[in-house]
Amino acid sequence: MLNKKMLLFLIPAVLLVSLTVAGSGLAEQAYRFELDNGLRVLVVKRPWAPVIHCHLMFDVGGIDEPPGLGGIAHMVEHMAFKGTSILGSLDPFREQKLLAQVEEAGDAYFDALQSGAPQEEIDRRHAEFLRAREEVQGVVQPNILFQLMGAQGAVGYNAYTTYDHTSYVVSLPANRLEAWVRIQADVLLDAVFRFFYEEVDVVKEEQRQRSEDQPVGYLRERFLAAAFQKHPYGRPLIGSMEEIANYRTQTAWEFWTTHYHPNRAVLVLVGDIDLERTKDLVERYFGVLEPREGPPGWIPEEPEQEGERRVLVEYNAEPRLLIGWHQPAYPARDIYVLDVIQALLTSGRSSRLYKRLVVEEQTALSVSGFTEFPGARYPSLFGLYAQPRYPHTTEELETAIYEEIERLQNELVSEEELAKIHNQARASFLFALASNSGLAENMAFYELFRGGWEKLMDYPELIRSVTAEEIREAARKYLRPERRTVAILTPGPGAAAK
Amino acid sequence: MQVRKGVAYMRLAVMLAILLLAACPGLAFTEKPSIDWPYPEEMEFPPLEFTSIEPVRHVLGNGLTVYLLADRDLPLLQGTVYIKAGSIYDSPQQTGLAELTARLTRAGGAGARTAAEVDEQLDFFAASVAVNEGTFYAMARFSSLSEYTAEVLDIVADILGAPVFAEDSLEVERNRMLEAIRRQYDDPMEVAVREFFKKIYGGHPAGAYPTVASVNAITRADLVDFHAAYYAPENATMAVSGDFDPEEMIALLEKTLGRWKVKGVEPPEFPPFDRQPERKVYYVERPLTQSVIFIGHPTVTLDNPDYPALGILSEIFGGALFDEIRVRRGLAYAAGGGLTDGYQIPGIFYAYAITRADATGRVLELMLAEMEKARQVEIPTGPANRARDAAVNRAVFRYTSAYEIASRNAADDLLGIEPGFFEEQLERIKVLTPGNLLFYAFDYLRPEEVVIVVVGYAPMFDRGLENFGEVILVEPEQ
Repeated sequence: MLNKKMLLFLIPAVLLVSLTVAGSGLAEQAYRFELDNGLRVLVVKRPWAPVIHCHLMFDVGGIDEPPGLGGIAHMVEHMAFKGTSILGSLDPFREQKLLAQVEEAGDAYFDALQSGAPQEEIDRRHAEFLRAREEVQGVVQPNILFQLMGAQGAVGYNAYTTYDHTSYVVSLPANRLEAWVRIQADVLLDAVFRFFYEEVDVVKEEQRQRSEDQPVGYLRERFLAAAFQKHPYGRPLIGSMEEIANYRTQTAWEFWTTHYHPNRAVLVLVGDIDLERTKDLVERYFGVLEPREGPPGWIPEEPEQEGERRVLVEYNAEPRLLIGWHQPAYPARDIYVLDVIQALLTSGRSSRLYKRLVVEEQTALSVSGFTEFPGARYPSLFGLYAQPRYPHTTEELETAIYEEIERLQNELVSEEELAKIHNQARASFLFALASNSGLAENMAFYELFRGGWEKLMDYPELIRSVTAEEIREAARKYLRPERRTVAILTPGPGAAAK
Repeated sequence: MQVRKGVAYMRLAVMLAILLLAACPGLAFTEKPSIDWPYPEEMEFPPLEFTSIEPVRHVLGNGLTVYLLADRDLPLLQGTVYIKAGSIYDSPQQTGLAELTARLTRAGGAGARTAAEVDEQLDFFAASVAVNEGTFYAMARFSSLSEYTAEVLDIVADILGAPVFAEDSLEVERNRMLEAIRRQYDDPMEVAVREFFKKIYGGHPAGAYPTVASVNAITRADLVDFHAAYYAPENATMAVSGDFDPEEMIALLEKTLGRWKVKGVEPPEFPPFDRQPERKVYYVERPLTQSVIFIGHPTVTLDNPDYPALGILSEIFGGALFDEIRVRRGLAYAAGGGLTDGYQIPGIFYAYAITRADATGRVLELMLAEMEKARQVEIPTGPANRARDAAVNRAVFRYTSAYEIASRNAADDLLGIEPGFFEEQLERIKVLTPGNLLFYAFDYLRPEEVVIVVVGYAPMFDRGLENFGEVILVEPEQ
């Protein structure tokens, strides 16, 4: 909660690499079953330590938001921690009446605002709205779910929203799994959106903290808006300040009840698990949930980019550079080729760009790369992020970066360099699977979006199969100037001064 | 009404509520199966059965103490060497020397290898080796595929025992540190944390940060001297975990880390911390839409028997701030509190919040009021018990991986923290009650003596900071 992350730019399942050994080992210990309501459950027995990690992933995220409701997926993720009829109320009977009064007072206030009522009336309605909200606070227990889970010894009880999906996660002592299963199922069955308007203010603060007052966040939002002109990957994941200010309990509730159903989720449990008992628990609690089909989604396609786009952002901070080229989505084979290119350029101190910019020419403080950004379900971006070292400039970095891209377009990568990338990809793949949480997240993502969790195990071999010729072709095909968006942060006035 | 009167009451109340027509989303009661589900605090669980796994402790011929724990699930290797060579040993003129030395061991060539060769080889082995400094010790962390174990340990041994400290690599890393200093006002939270600890520690090396002048004052000879004075096997411990046979690993370590020469190092005592806090408001002006606020003061060190109680108290206090400032008032996304690690230097009892500029005064007042309340009003049984149960129940997470177990043992050994110390602390926590927590709070919390740091834009504040104490404008430093 204090560290509550909305991983705005999580690249889910950047999962790198190899594995016959771990792959086959895993297959022996992994179990899959499905409840009648469509909830898919994956269980991996890892008895090394007496703990269990739980990851519940829904195929709902920022891309599913209707126009004007940007950030509502993230908002309802917050609301899913406010408790249920029973968990969090001191007096459910009275609370129900008081919450109804909050809604009435809220409607009256917002109506007055919109209809241009006299200021006096607006103020009066606002005071009534605040009073109604104050009153309900007398019969609720704030933050009760965190307290209850904390007392069980839960660690990392949290959730996050990406453009592609929404995840609820926690780690527990192995004997206390039932506590989370019971609480999480209750939330899905019977969430109460108490403290809604207080939470709208919390999300506004989060927006300021992550975007307005955060140079990288500020730059990133503008970068994505330029790169995606139709596809929702271009919208701010947390929503704009105007959108957040316009959230209403009813619209948020509709989004919640439309989307978050068991048939649209995967539950992954990894750890010291008794399979039979776990099946019973999941069946007993999650089994009561009703399935519901989602509405037909319509996600606009991003048209082919036909010329370089440049965004200059003034901000009170030192310069930064973001470059992104459009890339295809799974199942295109080129996503693996681009992963290899990213590793060649920025993975490790001996990688091409790090070595040149940071160590040899000393024009950059740092350089890093990313693929399938900001999401992996639709065509996305391959990109680079760098910070120049004073007095060097973002222009110098751009020039050097484009030279390295041209080298990739003209010369074949050596076998040794490819062997290095294979090793790195295999190691990062294994390290990603080594922790219960890493394994759970990756399995959930593959199960939901890539045709089954077992496909995860193919990743290292796919990387290994990438050839020098394919790298050159992909560099020529995707990393062209007219496909790129360049965003530059340049020192200027701060947010408060704007 | 009590916080809870049991499931029977709840059930009745919900049944009654169902009879009403519901107008509020999420409270449209229909009879839900969850009515029959047990209340989480009344659930019963089978006892947690596990035997704590302990690493093998072995002392190499050169005196390096190693904690080994095999975990053969995946073909990986992971480890850390802890060296008493932290920034606490920096002189005020050369703050940053410990950090630059640590970075250069890794980045400046090792043994017969040039810097570029070290990078090439490690990257080829898919190995990550990073040497960083902390307050009390430097840490050389490494990981790789286990098939390259011998090669990687060979390089790690040279990085620590035979660093080259090449001049050109020193300039690369020095310039990077200087660039990071240029950028140190970019992130508001970072500014607040840094200024808070600088002011609280007031000149003690625990609160010193590198400056352009102190980094520029460091020469290659200083790195060589610092390395000679601190980097030695008798002044270090090591953890290693992963896919290996312990006997073979010991033999391999003798051949690699065993080369590290004994120097008879004894790190000097660092100055004791005995500063009396004073209530002052340090203001850093940044053109932001939000203010980052920190308040706090020193308490006691880790070895003080009251320390565990203060830890629990700080968690409850942080939770209360979160409830009040975030959940109930919507004034912040980030709000909370805690107690810093009290090893050798008193733990700092602190609170923080990030709030919109025009709520700065209101939030600061709430933070101070919660602290005052904590020392005057007994904590309700519910939150007190839950905080205590949380500490006890989550203790099992100390055993989640072989690396976690091995590295904790190695670090504790280096710092002289005896085995069983944590369990003793846990025993003290188990007997805490709201009554004695109030006693500790009354004894230790001093809202009238907190150091206050505010990073933000005063022209937009709702109240002047002078309402909270003498205001000192902090000029940006490079």
